[in-house]
Amino acid sequence: MKAKKLLWAVFIVALVIAVFLIAMAQYYVAVALVIGTLIMRHREIWSLIKTRKLPPVDERVRENTGKAIRNGFIFFAVATAIMMLPFGGVVTRNLDTVHILSALFLAAGLVYLLTYLFYDRAEPKMTQGRLKMLKTYLLIIGISVGVFIIGVFLHNALYALFDVEEPVFFIIATIISPLALAVGLIGSLVVFIMGLAGRPS
Amino acid sequence: MKTRIKEFRSRYNLTQEKLAEMVGVRRETIIFLEQGKYNPSLRLAYSVARTLHTTVEELFIFDD
Repeated sequence: MKAKKLLWAVFIVALVIAVFLIAMAQYYVAVALVIGTLIMRHREIWSLIKTRKLPPVDERVRENTGKAIRNGFIFFAVATAIMMLPFGGVVTRNLDTVHILSALFLAAGLVYLLTYLFYDRAEPKMTQGRLKMLKTYLLIIGISVGVFIIGVFLHNALYALFDVEEPVFFIIATIISPLALAVGLIGSLVVFIMGLAGRPS
Repeated sequence: MKTRIKEFRSRYNLTQEKLAEMVGVRRETIIFLEQGKYNPSLRLAYSVARTLHTTVEELFIFDD
């Protein structure tokens, strides 16, 4: 049942994106997307045609899907970083709040990536106290990102609806949550690297 | 890791597809297991062994 829902979800998402691409006259991309989706799900489609049943999502499939998602994310992150390199000079010449925030978010992404990739290596060397500390710092990162998004939204929503220049959400979004993000980032990185290095705790 | 899944499967006249169905995995997983290309979890190894009326130690040969 879960596999069937997943298959339907993939096809519906692909269909919606294909419709958007066709509406934007991006026919080649739409065709590539449809072919890609069919290739990606060819086993399920073939099984449905042959036996009218979907093959089970077993542990090997789950493992492979996890690896594919992780590798895809790494490829996406590296490709984006390479494509962004030419803009580096412009960014450092005219540094402002937006650039600092972007750098913080990028650093947060990197910390998540690092902890995701090397958690298995660091976890056995860490004590319960350190693990709790790492979880707290990671939680601070997550919460500060959420608070930032909500703060920006509320500040702009209040301005758009009531024409009020309120300071509370502005300060939360531009000062408090980036500070909390920085604290969470530095703390989690320090705890994690100490765990990776295997220092006695 | 070598396995004796094929040997036990033919003992009970089971096809790869039938065994996969009984264990609740894909046929490809059984193929990879037979070829020793996939290291199963303890749960899957136990499940395959129980389906073939044997033990994990009998079914999977660990070589260091």
